[in-house]
Amino acid sequence: MLSEENTLGDEERTVTDVSLFIQSLINGLNQGAIYALIALGYTMVYGIIRMINFAHGDFIMVGAYTLFYTIPLMVSYGMPAWLAVLAAIVVCVAVGVIVEVVAYRPVRGAGSMSALITALAMSLFLENLAMVLFGANPKSVQAVFNLPMVEIFGAKLQCKYLLTIGIGLVIMVGLQLFVKKTKLGKAMRAVPQDKQASTLMGIDVNRIITTTFAIGSGLAAVAALMYCSTYPRCTTDMGSMMGLKAFIAAVLGGIGIIPGAMLGGILVGVIEIFVKVYIAPGWYEAITYGLLIVVLLVKPSGILGRNTGEKV
Amino acid sequence: MKKKWLSVILSAVLAVGMLAGCSGASEEAAADDSKPSEEAAAPVEEGEATDTIRVGVICSMTGGKAVYGEGAQNAIDMAVEEINAKDGIHVEIVNGGKVVDDASDSKQAVNAYNSLEPEEPDAVVGAFFSSVTLPMAELAAEQDMLLLATGATNYKVTLIGPTIFRNCFIDPYQGKMAAKFAAEQGATKAAIIYAKDDDYSNGLKDAFVENAADNGIEVVYTGECTTKDTDFTAQASQAAASGADFLFYPCFLDTVPLLVQQVRDAGFDGIIMGGDGWDGSDTTGIETYFDNCYFTNHYSSEDTAPEVQNFVSKYTEKYGTDTLNACASLYYDAIYMLVQAAENGGGTDTASLVKGMTGMTFTGVGGTFTLDENGDPEKAVAINTYENGQVKWFTTLQP
Repeated sequence: MLSEENTLGDEERTVTDVSLFIQSLINGLNQGAIYALIALGYTMVYGIIRMINFAHGDFIMVGAYTLFYTIPLMVSYGMPAWLAVLAAIVVCVAVGVIVEVVAYRPVRGAGSMSALITALAMSLFLENLAMVLFGANPKSVQAVFNLPMVEIFGAKLQCKYLLTIGIGLVIMVGLQLFVKKTKLGKAMRAVPQDKQASTLMGIDVNRIITTTFAIGSGLAAVAALMYCSTYPRCTTDMGSMMGLKAFIAAVLGGIGIIPGAMLGGILVGVIEIFVKVYIAPGWYEAITYGLLIVVLLVKPSGILGRNTGEKV
Repeated sequence: MKKKWLSVILSAVLAVGMLAGCSGASEEAAADDSKPSEEAAAPVEEGEATDTIRVGVICSMTGGKAVYGEGAQNAIDMAVEEINAKDGIHVEIVNGGKVVDDASDSKQAVNAYNSLEPEEPDAVVGAFFSSVTLPMAELAAEQDMLLLATGATNYKVTLIGPTIFRNCFIDPYQGKMAAKFAAEQGATKAAIIYAKDDDYSNGLKDAFVENAADNGIEVVYTGECTTKDTDFTAQASQAAASGADFLFYPCFLDTVPLLVQQVRDAGFDGIIMGGDGWDGSDTTGIETYFDNCYFTNHYSSEDTAPEVQNFVSKYTEKYGTDTLNACASLYYDAIYMLVQAAENGGGTDTASLVKGMTGMTFTGVGGTFTLDENGDPEKAVAINTYENGQVKWFTTLQP
């Protein structure tokens, strides 16, 4: 960026530029896939019960700490490290379901403000609980994948980044098919349209909502694995910033819509990296979220949102 | 009605849970600290107040940098116990023997400093970070309080007033030594990634850039980040693409493992170097990534000097090696420096301590050094490297 001109010839520079672009694109997609997986959790819950689960980011923290403790166990028993994600899914689903049944279900009839405040309180509660249980020091998570590096057009790409992007895409497509094609998915789509009518149709609304939380929390565990393979560190407050960004991604794409969460997540991830590389690293958050405001001004329901006039 | 009761019970359970959590933690902390503080408080009750220096100590006890605070607490406990076991000048740590938390935050630091005031300390030791120490130094200068900064390496700290001293080297010096070391290792093109929101990081970066040309090093890339970032893939890919053979990352330990992994993942295999902020970085699980990484530090636990070995063996025996970092050694030396200042100055009040400390020559864990007219020491710099993720002393550069 600064004085490359002096050291590299024109041809060499083009190669470097192309490889830097490819590398940045992969970095952005990698980060975007993680955001998208988290955003899916927000979007599913919002899509079903019109509630923003602010504790969702902290489910990732729970998943990351589970990985921190289970990966060494897996390795010591000679199993591949990524299998620890199963333990993380179990723990996250358990936490998600408990939070839903104990904290959210009782206030569900009390209006959206109570639900919002409960979710915020739950987020703080989980963070503080983690601080007491695990201590305030950040923990380094052991390497999840030991994959080689591939070189495409001179860009050095980590296979684990490509894997993250692949897993992210597979999960998103799978989830979309699940919601559109299965009976349970149909029930999930029915509940937000009319709770009473759904009950009359023989749908157990509470069970559907709990299932939604379980799926969202399971996704958070997968997101935690993906996060830890790139950023191998867990802190008790890691969920709040990441959760916020993923929430913004969900809103950007159109909250409540599964493809919207994917699109929003990937956009936020890619834009952040490109702003850092090509514009100004110190400004990446300001520019990314400035863009969000612009998009929402033009299309208040998000990029893929239908203009139903609903407020987020 | 039933619902209401349920919610009352639930919130009560939540509240109890939180309280139980908190009290558990504080009890634990209290249990850890109670012994030394009793010992520290004992001499005062015997009425030897005139021979006792009352010292307030400030460091980071919570958050990502809590490992420094733990080391500081252990080190001052150890120093106070040793000093008070002998006749002569004794030391009492105010606030019940406990280090006051600055939470690595400049606003919290002012609160921490002010909280010491009612206890009327004769001197304040701390803090470890430049950004935290600068506002405290302003207050100390206003009140003519002796402030002995430990790890605050920003050059401005001691210029604030004549009662501000430190026992660590300063940023320009550390950046200069890093550039010198880079040249010695045959580096010609350097990339820099630094935290824009941190005084320390800016100080080291500026000094490195200033001294780069003199050492035959061209700075080919300068990238910014913040102390709260976890994603460095953008800067890492640019640093790798810039053709640099040396990367300078003058930031703190909590982000070091993240940066090192992402930079190596981006295909950079040259030297990665940092300052004393790297001390205590967690290398678990990414040991091989840390090959060919170096950092400048205040001392090395492998140094064979008797003062160092005495400190290391005693500390390890009592507290293990988890918190045995340079921060601990600096707080340990600081307490001894105050005692020597009281002996030189002929009293334990603030004015005598300042008089005794000005221009003094001290020998401790950090080597032998003399404080210059600003209150800064000129010290040798230890350069450490990593072997299988373990910190290994590499060389010591003399001033």
